[in-house]
Amino acid sequence: MNAILTMPEMAVTALALGLLVLDLWTPADRKGDLGIAAIGGLALILAGSFLFGAGAPQYAFGGMYVLDGMALFFKRLMLGVGVVALAAALEYSKRFAAGTAEYCALILLAVSGMMWAASANHWALLFVSVELMTVTFYVLVSFERTRMPSLEAGVKYLILGALASAFLVYGVALVFGGTGTLGFAGDSGPGLGTGSVLVRVGLALVLAGLGFKIGMVPCQFWAPDVYQGAPAPTAALLAAGSKAAGFALLLRVLLEAAPDWALEMRPVLMLIAGASILYGNLCAIPQRNLKRLLGYSSIAHAGYMLLGIVVLERAGAAAILFYLAGYACAVLAAFLVAALAFDPGEPEEIPALAGLHRRSPYLAAALALSMISLAGIPPLVGFFGKFLLLKGVVLAAFDSRSFGWLAGVALAGIVTSFYYYFGVVRAIYWSAPAAERPPIAVSRVAGAALGACLVGIVAAGVFPSPLLEAARLAAGALRIP
Amino acid sequence: MITAHHYLAVAAMLFGIGLAGALTRRNSILVLMSIELMLNAANLNLVAFGRQAGWEQGSQAALWVMCAIAIAAAESGVGLALILAIYRHRRSAHLDESPPLKG
Repeated sequence: MNAILTMPEMAVTALALGLLVLDLWTPADRKGDLGIAAIGGLALILAGSFLFGAGAPQYAFGGMYVLDGMALFFKRLMLGVGVVALAAALEYSKRFAAGTAEYCALILLAVSGMMWAASANHWALLFVSVELMTVTFYVLVSFERTRMPSLEAGVKYLILGALASAFLVYGVALVFGGTGTLGFAGDSGPGLGTGSVLVRVGLALVLAGLGFKIGMVPCQFWAPDVYQGAPAPTAALLAAGSKAAGFALLLRVLLEAAPDWALEMRPVLMLIAGASILYGNLCAIPQRNLKRLLGYSSIAHAGYMLLGIVVLERAGAAAILFYLAGYACAVLAAFLVAALAFDPGEPEEIPALAGLHRRSPYLAAALALSMISLAGIPPLVGFFGKFLLLKGVVLAAFDSRSFGWLAGVALAGIVTSFYYYFGVVRAIYWSAPAAERPPIAVSRVAGAALGACLVGIVAAGVFPSPLLEAARLAAGALRIP
Repeated sequence: MITAHHYLAVAAMLFGIGLAGALTRRNSILVLMSIELMLNAANLNLVAFGRQAGWEQGSQAALWVMCAIAIAAAESGVGLALILAIYRHRRSAHLDESPPLKG
């Protein structure tokens, strides 16, 4: 029994529960301090996670839980995402009538679900961690219950999410029937025997369930509506954290547990990747709402990251980890600006960003940088991530012509995305505002969180080697049979 | 003699009925109930497979089913609360009436 390994997750859960208890004795005008305490606690846990070395994989709970380099990488990423999301929540929750502490506690619980997911080595832990995350997100998405769009988004996420869970559980039941084990590894070392029809159908259903988490075609219908309707901090956590957890599980299932099946399904995975890239980028073009645009672009980014899976190699997995970290920085910065730059109740229309550079030069520069990074312009981190993902596909194209087509589709998608990302930048700097609006005051916490994201975007783009080294090390821990 | 195949057939039927209900019904409570059927179909499968697999794996499958039932209850609890909140706004539990978000 190695329960000590689960310390980070346990600490995050305890922090969430402690916050809820403390909330009972905190007067209404001091609720903001609880949020600060939550940010401090999470940052401490993040610092503490560096006490764990990335050595040989260690197991707890009879092999259900694994702590290896990849799990550690994802945990640190999710803790960092949680800190920034909490800072956004602290700022955004000023417009709630009540419930600052509850909102922060729910964010912490979602983060702990993502961290458990990063260590899942058993179908039961996979399912329970996914549900901990998803059920928390139902509440987080619909948290502004006086605003109809937030409730609408919540119901949409609830119904499609529950449907995805049903597929996931049914798939796991079939896999269990075919292999006779609920672990990710069969009796003969890593990797499940994937010969029988039951296992194949089951894994396809599991892929559909996890595909919902990452927002890939054909499980992407929720993304634009939920991103648009949800409160901005929730949407930030969905984009940066929930997607990362989905990819952590996909990497474990496809590369570790069922590599034979993944190889067999490669053409389908390639089709899904190409379709996600095209669908996300083409649908994002006519959007006027900033959050909805980010929702469609998140589908496209899921497609780019799937390029790292279809090559079925460690290098592809490393590229995904690098890309996820860069994507998290950029998308968190964008949603932070969306939380700060619009008045309560105002729809996040892109034309309303006109004149933002006069109202707050810092926010304008941050949003512009994040858009440029998402578009993939050097020297920012988005460029290097896309380069790594495409490199794997182009190298594979020497063996098989279909990879060449996939690389072409991805390049076309990237070029298309320039149009709408630069539309946002143009709205910020080069359009005339309809009316003069007052300058925006950015609080110290939100400013610092935004600064951290910007440092990540620029530093990891100019000096990619430390992050790349960490990603390679983490992907090296994958037990590809 | 009832074999595992019979259980599987019933579970597949339940899953199909649930899926059809979730996709065609417009009342959100009925949709939640349909999804509940799908989850229970999966649980039935697990128990049937567990009985076949013997004591060691079977008890694990049974434990999983307990977890899945509890989680499904949490899910429908949150779902009903959400539907109630929407009902307060517009006095209807139907999914397609005046949606402010385009599909």
